[in-house]
Amino acid sequence: MFNHVGRFVHPDVSQGCQLSCIKMMRLTKPTLFTNLPVTCEDRDLPGDLFGQLMRDDPSTIKGAETLMLGEMLTLPQNFGNIFLGETFSSYISVHNDSSQVVKDILVKADLQTSSQRLNLSASNSAVAELKPESCIDDVIHHEVKEIGTHILVCAVSYTTQCGEKLYFRKFFKFQVLKPLDVKTKFYNAETDEVFLEAQIQNITTSPMFMEKVSLEPSMMYNVTELNIVTSGDQGESTFGKMSYLQPMDTRQYLYCLKPKPEYAEKAGVIKGVTVIGKLDIVWKTNLGERGRLQTSQLQRMAPGYGDIRMSVEMIPETVNLEEPFDITCKIINCSERTMDLQLEMCNTRTVHWCGISGRQLGKLTPGASLLLPLTVFSSVQGLQSISGLRLTDTFLKRTYEYDDIAQVCVVCPFLNNEC
Amino acid sequence: YQKLQTDFEHSRLNQAVTKVHLNIIYDILLQQDSIDLGAGEFVTPQEDSSATLSESLMDRLNDQMMESVMISDSPNNSEEDDVGPIDSFLDGGLEENGSSGNKKEESEIGQNTTEIKVPVDQKEQECTKDDIKEEIDIEEQIQIVVSPQSEAHSPVVIKSEDPEHQSPKGTSPKDEPVPVCTIFSQGTQPKSLAPDGFQPTLIKSPSFTTGSGGGSDEAVTPSKMTAPLVCQPSPSLSKFFTDNGQANPASDFFDSFTAPSSFISISNPNADVSPASTPAPLSFTPEHQPPTPVSVFGPTVTEPTTKPQSPISQTVPSLNLASSTPQAQPFNQLQAVFSGTDDPFATALSLSEVDRRHDAWLPCEETRKMLISVATQQYGPAYVDTNRLTMPGLKFDNLQGDAVKDLMVRFLGEQAAMKRQVLTASSVEQSFVGLKQLVSSKNWRAAVDLTGRLLTAHGQGYGKAGQPTSHTTDSLQLWFVRLALLTKLNLFQNAELEFEPFGNLDQPDLYYEYYPSVYPGRRGSMVPFSMRLLHAELPQYLAKPQEALDRLHNLKTVCLAILENLEKGSAEDGSMITLTQENRQASLKLWRSRLSRVMYSMANCLLLMKDYILAVETYHSIIQYEPQQRVQLLSGIGRIFLQVGDVKMAEVYFQDVEKSCQMKARDPTHTTCVLMNRAFVYLSQNSYAEAHASFLEVLKIDPRHPVTNNNAAVCLLYLGRLKESLGQLEGLVQQDPALYLHESVLFNLTTMYELESSRSTQKKQALLEAVACREGDSFNTQCLKLV
Repeated sequence: MFNHVGRFVHPDVSQGCQLSCIKMMRLTKPTLFTNLPVTCEDRDLPGDLFGQLMRDDPSTIKGAETLMLGEMLTLPQNFGNIFLGETFSSYISVHNDSSQVVKDILVKADLQTSSQRLNLSASNSAVAELKPESCIDDVIHHEVKEIGTHILVCAVSYTTQCGEKLYFRKFFKFQVLKPLDVKTKFYNAETDEVFLEAQIQNITTSPMFMEKVSLEPSMMYNVTELNIVTSGDQGESTFGKMSYLQPMDTRQYLYCLKPKPEYAEKAGVIKGVTVIGKLDIVWKTNLGERGRLQTSQLQRMAPGYGDIRMSVEMIPETVNLEEPFDITCKIINCSERTMDLQLEMCNTRTVHWCGISGRQLGKLTPGASLLLPLTVFSSVQGLQSISGLRLTDTFLKRTYEYDDIAQVCVVCPFLNNEC
Repeated sequence: YQKLQTDFEHSRLNQAVTKVHLNIIYDILLQQDSIDLGAGEFVTPQEDSSATLSESLMDRLNDQMMESVMISDSPNNSEEDDVGPIDSFLDGGLEENGSSGNKKEESEIGQNTTEIKVPVDQKEQECTKDDIKEEIDIEEQIQIVVSPQSEAHSPVVIKSEDPEHQSPKGTSPKDEPVPVCTIFSQGTQPKSLAPDGFQPTLIKSPSFTTGSGGGSDEAVTPSKMTAPLVCQPSPSLSKFFTDNGQANPASDFFDSFTAPSSFISISNPNADVSPASTPAPLSFTPEHQPPTPVSVFGPTVTEPTTKPQSPISQTVPSLNLASSTPQAQPFNQLQAVFSGTDDPFATALSLSEVDRRHDAWLPCEETRKMLISVATQQYGPAYVDTNRLTMPGLKFDNLQGDAVKDLMVRFLGEQAAMKRQVLTASSVEQSFVGLKQLVSSKNWRAAVDLTGRLLTAHGQGYGKAGQPTSHTTDSLQLWFVRLALLTKLNLFQNAELEFEPFGNLDQPDLYYEYYPSVYPGRRGSMVPFSMRLLHAELPQYLAKPQEALDRLHNLKTVCLAILENLEKGSAEDGSMITLTQENRQASLKLWRSRLSRVMYSMANCLLLMKDYILAVETYHSIIQYEPQQRVQLLSGIGRIFLQVGDVKMAEVYFQDVEKSCQMKARDPTHTTCVLMNRAFVYLSQNSYAEAHASFLEVLKIDPRHPVTNNNAAVCLLYLGRLKESLGQLEGLVQQDPALYLHESVLFNLTTMYELESSRSTQKKQALLEAVACREGDSFNTQCLKLV
C-alpha cells in the first residue's frame, strides 16, 4: 500500500518512449518512534529474556528501556492534514527508469489554489542530462495562505536520445483546513479603555503549542497584555507552565486597549465602528512544525453616548457619613450642534446635592467639553450610587438624565471611637 | 454589541473562478494530453486574487455574545486586508452552494487523476525483466545476511494507515492493477480530519484488526477448537512422558513447577538446560537465592514435587480426556489428596524470604476475609461461590502463522518460501525450555501456540473458561508469558479477551493461602507482579487509557502501602513478622523498583493520552526512584516538549541534561545523549544541515549507533539528498542486519524506495528475503509496505 508517496507512472503518450517518472512526498516533520515496553522480573518464567529483548532493540533508550518515547526518527507515514498558515513542504523526485540517457530535463512545480497559481520550483533552468537510475531532486516549500483545494502540478519535459521531445505532468490535490476558531468580545470600561477577550480554539486533531498570541493594535490604541501574572521580576503565564492547546480546547486571552493621548482627546468624537487591531498567532506542533496566522482587523462599535456624554473624572472612594465631598464631572458635547445647557440637581433618598440647582452652564460647541465641580453628601451608610443630575438643552428644550454615574462608599467616622 | 462576522470564505466571484479552473483541469485530465504549462488557462486574473484577500464582513445576529473572527491568511498576505472593501456580502446559503459545488468538482478530479496508470501488460514485462535482475541481487544479499540467530529486535508497532489483513491467498503481484498514487484519496476526505499521522501511536498488528479484519475472525473462530491441540501430544511431548514413566504428561510437567522452590529440570530429564548454560539465571530456583538454606536441603527438594505426582496423574486425565466429567470433582480430589502432604522441608522453603518478598500483595477486604476463613478452616475452598473463582481458558487457538512466509509465498513464490526456516511450537521441546527458546529467537507467535498447548495440558485450554480449575505458580506464569507475548505482538484484543476471566486479579483462588495443603504456609499472590502490571497497562492500547490509569493507580497504592508497612517495621503485608535488616532493605529495594516501574507505566500511558503536563510531571518524579536514569529521563522530557512544539522548554531540559552530564565522570553515552538532544533541537528549528552535522558527531564517537545512523539518513532526505540517504540506509541494513533490520529503519527505507523509483516493489522484496533469513515469526511485515 503506497501511503503518501505519490506514485504516478504517467501514461504513454508516444509508444514505449517514456523513460522517467516523477514522485512526490509531503515532508512533514519526522516522528519519534514509540516503543511498547513489556517487562518481567528476574523471578518470572522468562527470566531476563524480555529485558534482553528490549535492551537489544535499537529503538529503545539504553539504560531506560521502559521509557516509551524513543529517539529513532521515522519518516512521515501519510500525507496528514495541512492547515492554513503552515508550510507545505514536498520532496519532488524525477527518476530515470530507463537504460537511456535523457536530455534537457525541465521540472516545474506549480501550486494551483482557488485564486492563483504559484511557481514553487527552486530553479527553472533545465538539467542537461539525466543518466539511467539517477534522479533530479527538489524540496519545495510554500506557506499556505488560502484554505480549500490546492493542486500541486508537477510537469516534466525532456528529450530522448532519438531527439523526441516528451512532456508529462502529474497532479497532486490536497485540502487546506482551518486550524483555529477565534471569537472576540469587547468590554467598554467607564474610562476610554477597551478590554478585548479573544477565545482561541484549536480545531485541528493534534495538540498545538501556542508560541505567540499577541494583539497588534491599530494606530489609535496602546495595548497591555493581561495574560501574564507578574510576581517579582518573573512573569508567569496565566495558562500555566505548558502553553499548549489540546484538540478542541479553547483558551481566553485578555487585552486592555487604551486610546493614545492624542486620540483620547477626540474620544468623545469617536463613534461607530472603530478598528482595534488584529491578533497575531504563532503555533508549533510536532518537532517544531510551525504555523502563523493573523485575524482580520477586529472592529468594535464604540458605545453610543447620545448627544451629551457625562463622565466622572474624579470622585473619592470612601467618604464620611453626612460630610460633603467633591466630585468632578466632565460634560462633552457629542452632537453636531451647539448646546446651551442648564444643570438641575435632584436629591435622592440617600444623596444630597449642595449648591443651587438650575444654574446655567453656558454654551457648548460640538466636541467641546466642560469640567463641572460639584459637592454632595450622603445621609446613608454603605455603597451609594450618585444619581439625580439633569442637563437641559435650552435650545431644543430637551432634558438628559444622568443617574448612577458613580458609586461611593459611605462610612461612619465615629463608629470606632464610640465603641 | 454589534455583531461582526467574517469568515474564511472567498467571495462569490472567486468561487465561480475556481469552478472554471477545476473544470479546465478536469478536461485536461480526461484528454490526457500535454498542454504547455505556460499557456494561459491557469493564470488567474490579478484583480481576482486581491479580491480573495478581502474578507467578507457580515452582519450576523445569531451569535449574541462572542463574535467569530476570521483568520485571514498569513501575515505576508494580509496587508490588503486593511484596505479590503467590505462590500462582498456573502450569505450563508450562497456559501453553502459554492462550496458544495466545489466539492463535486474535487471528487471528479480525484477519480480522474487516479486513473492514470500503466497498461498492465507493459508492466508485466517490466516486472519479469526486473525479477531476473533482482534475483541476482537477492543472492548476494543472502550471503551477507546469514549470521547467527541472535536477533535483537523487539517488535514495535508502526502506525499504519491501512491495517489491511494480508490474505494468504492473495493474488500475485502481476494480477494486481498497478497501485497509483494515493495522495488524492487522502485529500478527498478532508472533513473527516483523519489523525494527522504525527503522533507515534501504537495501533494494530497486521493479523488482528479491530474486530472486523480477517485476523480477528480467525482468532475467535471456535470451529477449529473441537480438537484441542494438546490432546495429541507432539512427539517430543510424548517422549518426555515416557522417559519419566509417567502416565500423564501434563500433570507431570506442571507439577515439576508447582512447588515454589524446585528446579525446572528436576523432574524433566529432557529439560536439562542447566541454569549455567542459560544466560539468564533462573532466579526462582533456590540455588540462586543465597539467603535461603536451599543447598542444605538440596536432596529433599524433589520430595514435595514428586510426591503429589501420582495422585495428580489420576485426577488430571479426567480433566483432559473426559471433559464431560464435572470439573469440580477432580478439583476437590486434588485438594483432598494434598491435604495430607505436610512436608516440613517444603514448609520451610515456602516460607523463604524471597518468596514472601516477591509474592506479597494486599488483597481487597472481601478476599482477605475469605482467605482468613480458608486458613482457619471455617469452610473449605470448595464452597466458595464460583463468582469469586478464577476460571480462565484459552479463547482462541492456533491463530499464529508466519506473516513473513505468507508474504514470501505471495511475492517470491512457494519455492523461495520453502527456504524460510523458523522454529514452531512443535519443533521445540514442549516445556519452559522450548518456550524460552522460541521467545529468544523471536518466534513469539509460535511461543504463544506453545503456551496454549501447555495450558491445555493444565486443563485451562480452549473452551475451559468458566470451568473450575486450580492454579499453580506455573500455570499463572504461563498465562503471564502468553499474555505478555500477545501484547508484544500487538494482539491486544486477544490479550484482553483472555485476561477477562482473571477479573481484577484479586480473587481468593489467586492467593497461596487458598491452597493451604498444596502450598503449606506460603502466603501472598500467585499472580506475578509483572502480570498485574501487564493487566493494568493493557487497556491503554485498546483506547481505554482511563481504565489503564485507574488500574495503575491501584497498583501504585498497594506498592506505597507495602513500602509504608516495611518502613513501619512490619512485613510487607503488615503482619508483625520481624525481618532482618538485610531482608528489609532487599524488600524495600524491590518494592521501590516496582513502584518506579508502575510510575513509568503511568507516565507512558499519560503520554499516549497526550496529557503532556501530567506525563512530564510523572517522568520527572521517577528520577527520585531511579537517579541513575536522570539523563535519559530529562532528555525524554525534552523530547516530549519538542513533540508538543515547545522548543524553548525542551532546550531548558536539555541544558539540565548537559549540567548533569558535566557533573558526572565523562561517559561517552552521555556525550552521545547531549549531541543527540542538540540535533533534535536543530531539527525543530528546521536546521536540517546542523542536525545532520550533530548526528555525524555522534557517529564519530560511536560509529555503530543504530539510531544515529538512521536519523542522519532521515536528515539527508529533508536536505534533498535522497540517493545518499538511501545508499546509507541500504548499506547499514546489509552490513549489520542484526541492528538495522528494525521496523522503523525498514519503514524509512521502504518509504524512500517508493519515492525513488517505480521499481520499489522489487527492492522491498529483496528486503523481505533479508528479513526471512533472520527474523522470527513475530516480525511485523507492515513495515515492508508490500501489501
